[in-house]
Amino acid sequence: MSGKTQNEHFRLGFLETIEVDGRGHIGGLLVTNQNGRPLEFQCTTPVRPNRTQEILFGETLRPWLLAELIGGTLLERVGIKPGLVITSDPHLLELRNHTTVPVALAEMSSSESPANESMRLKLGNSHLRFHHSHAADVGDLSSRRHLIPESANLQEPLERVREALAETVRTVFAR
Amino acid sequence: MGMPLSEAEQTVDDRPVRPELVQTGFNPALARRPIPETQPIPLDFPLDFVPSWTPRRIPIKCIGLTLPEGLEFQPPRQPAVQTTDGTQLAKIAPPKKLVEAPDRDSAKPPTRLRPPPDALSLQDRLFYLLQPPLESWLAGQELIMPFEPFSYQYEGIAWLFSSQAALLADEMGLGKTMQTITAIRLLLRSGQARRIVLICPKPLIPNWQREFRTWAEELPVVTVEGNGARRRMLWTMPGIPILIANYELMARDIAEIPDEEQPKFDLLVLDEAQRIKNRDSNTAQTARSIRRRRSWALTGTPIENRPDELSALFEFLEVIPKNSSPDIKQLSKLAKKFILRRTKDLVMKDMPPRIDRDAELELTDAQEAAYRIAEKEGVIQLNDLGDSITVQHVFELVLRLKQIANFDPLTGESAKLERLMADMEEISASGGKAILFSQWTKTIDWLEPRLRAFNPLVYHGGVPLKQREPILAKFKQDPNAHILLMSYGTGAVGLNLQFAGYVFLFDRWWNPAIEDQAVNRAHRIGVKNPVIVTRFISRNTIEEKIDRVLREKRELFEAVLGDGDNNNRSLSLTASEIFGLFELKARHRDGARAIGPKPVPPDSEAA
Repeated sequence: MSGKTQNEHFRLGFLETIEVDGRGHIGGLLVTNQNGRPLEFQCTTPVRPNRTQEILFGETLRPWLLAELIGGTLLERVGIKPGLVITSDPHLLELRNHTTVPVALAEMSSSESPANESMRLKLGNSHLRFHHSHAADVGDLSSRRHLIPESANLQEPLERVREALAETVRTVFAR
Repeated sequence: MGMPLSEAEQTVDDRPVRPELVQTGFNPALARRPIPETQPIPLDFPLDFVPSWTPRRIPIKCIGLTLPEGLEFQPPRQPAVQTTDGTQLAKIAPPKKLVEAPDRDSAKPPTRLRPPPDALSLQDRLFYLLQPPLESWLAGQELIMPFEPFSYQYEGIAWLFSSQAALLADEMGLGKTMQTITAIRLLLRSGQARRIVLICPKPLIPNWQREFRTWAEELPVVTVEGNGARRRMLWTMPGIPILIANYELMARDIAEIPDEEQPKFDLLVLDEAQRIKNRDSNTAQTARSIRRRRSWALTGTPIENRPDELSALFEFLEVIPKNSSPDIKQLSKLAKKFILRRTKDLVMKDMPPRIDRDAELELTDAQEAAYRIAEKEGVIQLNDLGDSITVQHVFELVLRLKQIANFDPLTGESAKLERLMADMEEISASGGKAILFSQWTKTIDWLEPRLRAFNPLVYHGGVPLKQREPILAKFKQDPNAHILLMSYGTGAVGLNLQFAGYVFLFDRWWNPAIEDQAVNRAHRIGVKNPVIVTRFISRNTIEEKIDRVLREKRELFEAVLGDGDNNNRSLSLTASEIFGLFELKARHRDGARAIGPKPVPPDSEAA
């Protein structure tokens, strides 16, 4: 924090999806400042793939649906663009192939094999894993690491997104 | 070598092979292209196959919420240090150590803001759900906290933040001020409020200013003071995030501002809100007339005398109709929704205890003689008054007798002083500090020269406001200042004196809640050792009788504020009870009316 100036902003995006019984998936993207204060939130209406899509996409269905379709839409719609998108769902890492914004998976601890260490970065008190096809992201983020407080818990805002999605389902879609 | 072939053999082998076609009629048919015939065969199931399927992006609808920009404040300027070579160095404070909280549980889940029950729109509800947990919000990333709050304080902050109408009624000493300041800070930071006014008794203004500096040093706080024109400008000028005013100025200034210029606030906070318990008073009416979006009231004693005092507070909070009088059951229901009250017993289980001891003293001979004469003459006079007797006549006799129980005005003898001197010698020898409370400034002034050995400091309504803060600072810092002499009226509320391990109640107030407020100056958060409270009671005197009456009334209000509340059984003596002290009967219909000195006005001297 010591090197931080008033003008340096680092917006973080927190992306999560949840499945709504019988209605498909909804996704939410929360953009916060580097201290976790919320700036903007966008969530989708439920999206459900049809049977043809289920058959043809096979194993790629979830990455396509969650990352490309839901994640991509949210990232397009959000007015305050984040400099990094964080998620807890490995399928959402696929979003990186459809955007220029780095996408990372937040993990509690670094327990993977050393072979993957080059795709990892510790940010705040969380370990982030990046898309294997975008190795340069790690370097890009390293240069901005000082903007995030060391005590920042980057998993916690994801919980807020899940709660907000559940509230949205309760309030709007359950009618 | 081989033999040469015969002519016959050569002729046979060399002759050309000439196939001979038999004319059957099939050969032309073989040369023709076959013409297959097709015949449809029905399938068992319909064919569901789209031969030209290409993935298309499904249009998705989105719901968006942009959170309001909070106010950005300049970080507090750090004092620069001039070095010998002329360069300026910024002074960096060492990291402050967090106070070890006795009730802190590291495994406790973080405190999340919850949407208020009356927030119906999705946007409103999401606003609260998307805020970070208080612990991380206040972890020093954006909002620097000098000390980490206790878990119950986090709950209180979250409750206030989400409340449009709130009565924070924590027992004295649990940090209502800090919780309020932090909730205000979060409202300003999150863009939920831009203009806040806080009303408190005049003597507490320096206290609030100090607490704002401690807990939210980046917030600009402006106090309403000066001449009428300046005050009016302060009331009406937009762009002042936090305004502090005292009750008297509020009542005077707001009434003088024309309707069209009346200020509008996002939040109005009333400290010591029992000041508006009389709903018809000018102060209460003015407070209710101030335009605001949120109303918070703070008091450690939501009920001082009667449960319907709560109605006045609920009317200010705008949760009951004007002039309505809810019954006990309705009040209890409203209390559950709009009052947050925690007692030390409930939240600070590991806090050093408060040890109460009653010092029952025999009057000295001179006191005894003076007392009996005064009592005898007084009762005779009362009886002589016949039907013209009023409660004030009785009350005057009570005061006279109480004063003699303090000290004999003729000889200066005092059993209480003798006991106090003995206790103070022990306290000062061990480097301890004590606070003494009395109802009368006269008693305090009488005590001061007699306690000179302990370097007494005096703090009562007669001390000018500007001199009060230095007196408190000296009491804290000067190791030789062992005793602070205070009046209930001036010293009972809003002060943090938790470094004093001893409290003496030299004479008794009429209302145990006020006594508790006084004791809680010392027995509050941050106290490290037990606080010993000594109540002086002269045997066989009016003091003993009053004490007995008050004790008998202690459990009356638990129905409203719930079990475990051991501080709000606060009742002043009624007129009939005052008459009863001398076995007289009330002559008037107002037998149930509370009498006694006016409720402690914190900014004026009592009795």
